Amino acid sequence: MTTITIQVNGKQLATEPDKTILEVCRANDIEILTMCHLKGVMDVGACRLCLVEIEGINKLLSACTTKVAANMVIRTDTERIKKYQRITTELFFAERNHVCSVCVANGKCELQQLGYKVGMDHIRYPFLYPKCELDSSHAWYVIDHNRCIMCTRCVRVCNEVEGAHNWDVMNRGTQVRVISDFNSPWGESVTCTSCGKCVHACPTGAIWPKAIVQGQLEKKPGIINELVEKRKMKL
Amino acid sequence: MSRKKLATVWLGGCSGCHMSLLDIDERILEVAKLADIVKCPVVDGKELPEVDITLVEGAVTSDEHLEEILHIRKQSKILVALGDCAVMTNVTGMRNYFELDDCLNTAYKTAISNDGQGEMPASPFVMHLNQKVVPLQEVVHVDHVIPGCPPDANTIFYVLSELLNNRIPDLSDVKKLHYG
Repeated sequence: MTTITIQVNGKQLATEPDKTILEVCRANDIEILTMCHLKGVMDVGACRLCLVEIEGINKLLSACTTKVAANMVIRTDTERIKKYQRITTELFFAERNHVCSVCVANGKCELQQLGYKVGMDHIRYPFLYPKCELDSSHAWYVIDHNRCIMCTRCVRVCNEVEGAHNWDVMNRGTQVRVISDFNSPWGESVTCTSCGKCVHACPTGAIWPKAIVQGQLEKKPGIINELVEKRKMKL
Repeated sequence: MSRKKLATVWLGGCSGCHMSLLDIDERILEVAKLADIVKCPVVDGKELPEVDITLVEGAVTSDEHLEEILHIRKQSKILVALGDCAVMTNVTGMRNYFELDDCLNTAYKTAISNDGQGEMPASPFVMHLNQKVVPLQEVVHVDHVIPGCPPDANTIFYVLSELLNNRIPDLSDVKKLHYG
């Protein structure tokens, strides 16, 4: 097995090639903020929170979709990166309705946690207040597009792990929405198996079970990777 | 050190932030050692005098609030946005997703609980709601913010004691930050 050396925040790390910067950093206890990354499914680099500086490259690149290479010099903790993380977080909050106090995920929300981590005390951008639907047609679950940050974790988990591909993405810009089948009510879906993986994959209060009341939502995004790993086992 | 003048004001909010302010409990005595509370919604309705620090709860929802916050800014050396409504409109701002007339009609006329007998309040003394609710920072310069719905009593006390002791509060830390 070949080993390469990379440098992260001035520290030399030995790693295997073919891994992403995010994987290597997480394995070495170097914190990188993410929202769209979910262990067990493909990375898409959607949320732009895991941006890192790489020496010799002018652009910031997403750690989740960039593979390590020998002698790469990476920085994850510069003021420039922190500035962008804060901007990205504020834009998440300003884009749709993220009023924590009336959200089912209050206190258990990855977006709320992210706000605390980047030290967001207020939002510098005007709120967009878009008209978003809430679909409660499914027997057990609700999708509230007001809380959605378009991380597409639900889309990927439904496609890659459950193999149902009930979820997909429609439109662009502020009109972008996660849709069920060909944009029909979730309860009428012919592909949804009601497995609930999207509920656990969702980092915010966008997808939640009807049986839950405010503040009692318990999501286990870790079960997705557990499932993927167990399937690889040859028993 | 000279005693400071402290005021607290309640705009478009639910008074929860003021309840949380009262939750600093006996520590209010420490505040009282350093400052005189010259105006507060639970005390009296006098016009705001010149003050050192004003804590403002709630968003700007009406002509009256706008006038009030502009006056507060003029009178205060330090203006602190207290709570999620003042900082980012929060629940108060959720009517921005709808037309103002639809909101008023639903509340006063067409709601089932009105039994079809609801009337729109028309007194000239009632304030006029603005089309959109805005956070304080959109109309005045805000010096410090305390997010939270309601903000944590410990955080309120921390900010108050820092300001009263001429220090600058720093909330950029997970333990002090809180929304919802």
